[in-house]
Amino acid sequence: MMMGKRNLKQTKKGEQVKRSILTNMIVVPFIPFILAIGVSFYYFTITIETNTASNLERTVEDHRDMIESFLMERTSDLEFITDTTRFEEMNQRESLNTLFEKLKKRSTAFIDLGLFDSCGVHVNYAGAYPLKGKHYQDAVWFKEVMKNGTYISDIFLGYRNYPHFVIAVRKGTGDNAWALRATIDTQYFDRLVSKVRIGRTGESYILNNKGISQTNRRSNDIRVMENDPEYLNFPPLKDHIQSFIKSDSDKNIYLYATAGLKNNEWLLVVRQEKEDAYKSLYSALYISLIIMVIGGAVIIVLAVYMTGRILKRIEQLGQEKQSLGNQLIRAAQLAEIGEMAAGFAHEINNPLQIIKSEQALIEILLEEIGKFDEHANAANEAKDTDEENAAMDEIEASLDQIKLQVNRCADITHAILKFGRKNETRQQRLIPSQIIPEIIYMIEKKAKVGGIDILKDISQDSTAFMGDPSQFQQVLLNLFNNALDTITERHGVSGGVLSITSFQKNEHWLVILIRDNGTGIRPENMGKIFSPFFTTKPVGKGTGLGLSVCYGIIESVGGTMEVKSEPNAGTTFVISLPAVN
Amino acid sequence: MEKMKMMLVDDEERYLMTTQKLLERKGVEVLIAPGGKEALDLLKLQNIHVVVLDVKMPGMDGNETLKAIKALYPLVEVIMLTGHATVDSAIDGLKSGACDYLMKPADIDEILEKAMVAFERRQRLEEKIRIAQSKKYMRSPREILKNDNE
Repeated sequence: MMMGKRNLKQTKKGEQVKRSILTNMIVVPFIPFILAIGVSFYYFTITIETNTASNLERTVEDHRDMIESFLMERTSDLEFITDTTRFEEMNQRESLNTLFEKLKKRSTAFIDLGLFDSCGVHVNYAGAYPLKGKHYQDAVWFKEVMKNGTYISDIFLGYRNYPHFVIAVRKGTGDNAWALRATIDTQYFDRLVSKVRIGRTGESYILNNKGISQTNRRSNDIRVMENDPEYLNFPPLKDHIQSFIKSDSDKNIYLYATAGLKNNEWLLVVRQEKEDAYKSLYSALYISLIIMVIGGAVIIVLAVYMTGRILKRIEQLGQEKQSLGNQLIRAAQLAEIGEMAAGFAHEINNPLQIIKSEQALIEILLEEIGKFDEHANAANEAKDTDEENAAMDEIEASLDQIKLQVNRCADITHAILKFGRKNETRQQRLIPSQIIPEIIYMIEKKAKVGGIDILKDISQDSTAFMGDPSQFQQVLLNLFNNALDTITERHGVSGGVLSITSFQKNEHWLVILIRDNGTGIRPENMGKIFSPFFTTKPVGKGTGLGLSVCYGIIESVGGTMEVKSEPNAGTTFVISLPAVN
Repeated sequence: MEKMKMMLVDDEERYLMTTQKLLERKGVEVLIAPGGKEALDLLKLQNIHVVVLDVKMPGMDGNETLKAIKALYPLVEVIMLTGHATVDSAIDGLKSGACDYLMKPADIDEILEKAMVAFERRQRLEEKIRIAQSKKYMRSPREILKNDNE
């Protein structure tokens, strides 16, 4: 129940952590990502818009110049004729035809050529229409040309009932004045004006100052001489070139650029559908959107994946922490138990001492009784001596047992006390080439008796290490004795070899190897041999504390102790000790 | 030859009595004291050669008793009897003048052996003292001549 609650709490906490990590991992990269895309898109838009507008403006300007110069050239053509040829000369049919042919050579835009006297009578005519003799004194163009000297008309139908426009030039003044008029081919002019090709929908056309279309258009939605309703909504005409965005009645949005022509009587318009003009902008927008979607997806997928990994790692660390905590608690418990055991052992020694003395006393008393009985037997020749002797033997045997068992108890208490001992040790510099042979010397005799060869290879020039001499001695003696025991077990009294090697591994570590050719350690016991109270010796022979004490001692001086073993081949203990200079 | 006179000091009465009996059977004269104070009292009355002294005792402990004994009767040899956990106090004891130490539970023969060694040491010491003292009174012929000439 408790566990369930705790797990639930942990899961809830984990869920919270997961959410916050996930949010951070998504939001944090998203901010610069969106900023980068947004800023670049913004500047890209501005650049494209200004570029497109200025392109359109430049186009309309060039075009305007071109059309102006066309009109000017045609006017000059006529002026050249009126300046070089007299009225009478031109009034002859053939000469006007010749002039017209010459004019056509200069520009194919001319359709016909007409000569008018001061009353507006069409006196001579070269061209395809039957216009000779018509009266024009009331025509707008005639009035204007008489007034101003030159005139370029808007598109009108006139006598021929076909949309056209004319250029007229006057010569002379008063009653001597006469005018030369040429008609411009509207198709030619249309082609000239609509030459502008921008994108798919770009077109150019001319409106007069009443909004009447002067040319045909590429899109053909408004024909020549028709009124363009959009014109009313144009910004007021100015001398310089203007550009603006406007939507028509069908909700199509156009980009416009306009320039005045013919002293602002005409307006040259270049327009393009916005969608067409901003095509690259829209493709940039789509690409940006795709990048954003893909990038966003990648960020989210990565965030989810990374969060999963991080959470897994956190969980793992948590588990490790918990198990470490458990180990720590166990270690603390063990230490406490060790201390308690040491206390008990110490107290048990006192009663053991008494038992031992009592046993010794009984032994002596029994001896005396025996002697006394012998005397008595000799004197009285008692009958049941056999039974008594048997009883005495048994008492003696049981006394021996008491002695044995007390000694066993003493061994155990001593081992426990050694294990739990927390006395301050006296650390000092120990030189391997001195102390190791001294310790080997202690077991040499025992080894000799057991028929075991001791091979020594103690490096003479290795540096010292820090340790307590008696503790170090305890470690080596323990290992040596274990080795001797196991060698004897396997080889009996001949063939045993114990080799002790010491050398300097590098400038930081000294290594001592203790290798025997004894029975070895079974693989299943390898993990336990340094655990307290673990022993493979028969009951009463070992306490199982020796190696764990050794391990503790080596560890306390910053060294390590490892074991390598092969059953029925031998065991090697490797002690590494930190070197000191 | 002089016979050894021992004293056992321990707070375990039964141990004292049994050990006393045992040692007496081995032919040693043994006195017993249940604490440091009593031991000092007995030393006042008798010429004791060797004292076997338990380290851990209530009241006056082994080391204190040892110091007192060594201060008052420097010739008395003291053997410290110790449990394992108090080996360090046994070492302190050796530093303050004890001649040896025994680990509990000690064999009776072990006690006797160490006591005998201590007793012999005491005897050698006494012998030396006797010789030194006698040297005070015995003068060499040269000294006599020297003194006579003055």
